[in-house]
Amino acid sequence: MKLLPSRKKQSEADGSENGTDEAVAKPKRTAQAKQLATHHGTQAGIDVAGWVDSRTNASGIFTAMMSRHVPKGTNWFYTLGSATMFIFAMQAITGVFLSMYYTPSATQAYASITHMTNEVFMGEFVRGLHKWGASLMIILIFLHMARTFFFGAYKYPRELNWVIGVVLLILTTVMGLTGYLLPFDQRSFWATIVANNITASGPIVGPYLADFLRAGPDFSATTLSRFYALHMMVVPGLIAALIGAHLFLVVKLGTTAPPWIRAPRPKGARPTEVVPAGVAVEDNEEVPVNGAVAVSDESGASVEEAEANEAEAEAVEAETSEPTGDVVAPAEAADESAAPEADVPQAEADADPDAQGDAATDDSGDGEVNS
Amino acid sequence: MSEPLNKNSKQPGEEPRVKLPEAQPRGYFEGESMTRRHVFTVASQAIGGVAAAAVVLPVVGFAVAPLFSRGEERWEAVGPVEDFNAEDYKQVVFTEITGIGEAGKTTAYIRKGSPEYDEDPNEFIAVSTRCAHLGCPVRFVQAAQNFICPCHGGVYDFLGKRIGGPPVRPLDRFQTRVRNGQVELGPRYSVTNQLKAVRVRDPGEFTGGIWEYLYPPRPSTFPPPSN
Repeated sequence: MKLLPSRKKQSEADGSENGTDEAVAKPKRTAQAKQLATHHGTQAGIDVAGWVDSRTNASGIFTAMMSRHVPKGTNWFYTLGSATMFIFAMQAITGVFLSMYYTPSATQAYASITHMTNEVFMGEFVRGLHKWGASLMIILIFLHMARTFFFGAYKYPRELNWVIGVVLLILTTVMGLTGYLLPFDQRSFWATIVANNITASGPIVGPYLADFLRAGPDFSATTLSRFYALHMMVVPGLIAALIGAHLFLVVKLGTTAPPWIRAPRPKGARPTEVVPAGVAVEDNEEVPVNGAVAVSDESGASVEEAEANEAEAEAVEAETSEPTGDVVAPAEAADESAAPEADVPQAEADADPDAQGDAATDDSGDGEVNS
Repeated sequence: MSEPLNKNSKQPGEEPRVKLPEAQPRGYFEGESMTRRHVFTVASQAIGGVAAAAVVLPVVGFAVAPLFSRGEERWEAVGPVEDFNAEDYKQVVFTEITGIGEAGKTTAYIRKGSPEYDEDPNEFIAVSTRCAHLGCPVRFVQAAQNFICPCHGGVYDFLGKRIGGPPVRPLDRFQTRVRNGQVELGPRYSVTNQLKAVRVRDPGEFTGGIWEYLYPPRPSTFPPPSN
C-alpha cells in the first residue's frame, strides 16, 4: 500500500512502517539543532527533490522510462525516433522565438521575414534552423518509419503505435504545408495556391475543404492568419499529444529485437509437447508454418511477446524483478552465453523463448504472465 | 478517526481502512431504484457535455463560417470601350481580391464579342489567366493565337477552350458590363466545354455533366451569369 509519506515527527513515531522511505529518513541520534542546520545547509535541495518525488513518484516514472530493458541487438537505428523528437523540440523552440518577430499579415509578412533574416541578431541562424529542421524532420520520420517496417516492429502488439506514427507523419506534412506559406513570397504563395487547388479537386468534399482551408472561395487575407494559427497552435498541440501517446506505448510495450537476432535454443530444452499447427514434430526447424511463414519467424514472435511481457512487468513493478527470478534460473544455467545479472531478464527472454512463448500462448499473450 | 480516502478503492489487495456497514444490495439505499452514484454520474456527464458544447459549437462555427458567407460583389473599370476589339485580346491588370496587396491582383484578356463565334457584338469577353489545371498564370501568344501555360504545358485556343495539356476545362471568365463608357469586370465564373457559364470552380475541377454534382456549388461563390 502506497501512502503519502508523513512528516518527520510522525515517521519517527511509527518508524517501523515508514522507515523505508528514504526521502524523510533521518538518523535519530542527531540533535535537533544540528539536524536543522544540516537540513538548511546541505540537504535542502535534496529534500525539495525528495518532497516532490515522494508526492509524484517522478523518479519511479523516470526510471521506468529511461532504465527499461531493451532487446539484445538494439543499435543506432533505434535512435531515429528520438532524433525525430529532438527535431520537433527544436522546431517548437525556434518557432516560438521566430513568432516574436513575425507579422501574420498579408501585407507585412514578407517584410517581417526579411527584417528578421537580415537585420535581427542571429535571425538568419534561428530561421535557418527552423527552415532546414523542417526538411530534416520529414527525412528522419521516413527513416524511422523504414526502421520500424524492415525490423517488423509494427507487428502485434505494436500496431496501434504504427497507426499513431502515421497520423504523426500526416500532421508533420500539414506543418510543412502551413509553414511554407508563412514567408509569403512568390514561391510560398503559389505553392499554397496549388496545394489548395489539389485539395479542391477531390470530389464532393474537396471544394468545401478548400474553402475551409483558405477561409473563402479564393485566397484572401484570412488565409494567411488561418495557416498561421494551424501552424502555430493547432497542429503542434496535436503532434505533442500524439508523441506522448507514442512514447507511452513504446514504454509500455517495449521495443523489438532486430530480425537478425535469433533466440538461441537452450541445450536439451527442445519442446516436444507443444507444436504449432502444421509443423512436423520431427523437424520443426525446417518446415514452414502455414506454407509461408518460416519457423524462425515463429520463434522471433515468441521473443517479441516475451519482451512485451517483460516490459509490462517492468512497468508495473519498477523496483523489483523478483517474480521473474525463478523463471530465469534454469534458462541461465542452460545457456552458456547467458549475460550477467544486469541483463538477467533479457537473458531469460532471449534464452528461453519456448517457455515464454508457451506461457504467452496459454495466456493469449496479454502480458500477465510474469506478474 | 479520519474519513478513509480509499474506502471505495477497487485496487486488488487494497483493503478499506474503515469498514462501513454496507447497504443491501450494494450501492442501493432504502426505497431507491437507482444508485446515487449512477444518478450523479449521468448528471455530471450531461452537464459537462453541455458545457463542452457551449464552447466547441461556437468555435467550430467560427472556423467554418467562411464557407457560407459570400463577399460583396466587386466591379472594377479596366478601360474605355474603344480600347477593345473583336479580333485581338487586350491585357488588363485589376484587383480581384482586396486586402492582400499585390497578391490580390490578377490579369485578364479582354476582347469584344464576335458574331463569328455566336457572341453578342455588344458584349465584352474577359478571359481569366488562371490555368484550369493548377492555377498557374497563362499568357496569350500572338503568333499561335493560343493561351499557353508555362507550368505543365496546358494549351487553350482563342476562345479559351482546352486543346492540349493537362487542364480539365476551358479558361474561366469574368462577368463584364459597360458603365459610363468604361468596361467593368465583375465576379469570376467557369464555363463548360461548350462555353456555357456555370458557377466558379477551382482549377483542377471538371465542369458540366456529372461533374456539376461531383463538384457541388459552394455557397461562398456568386451565381453564374444567365445565358
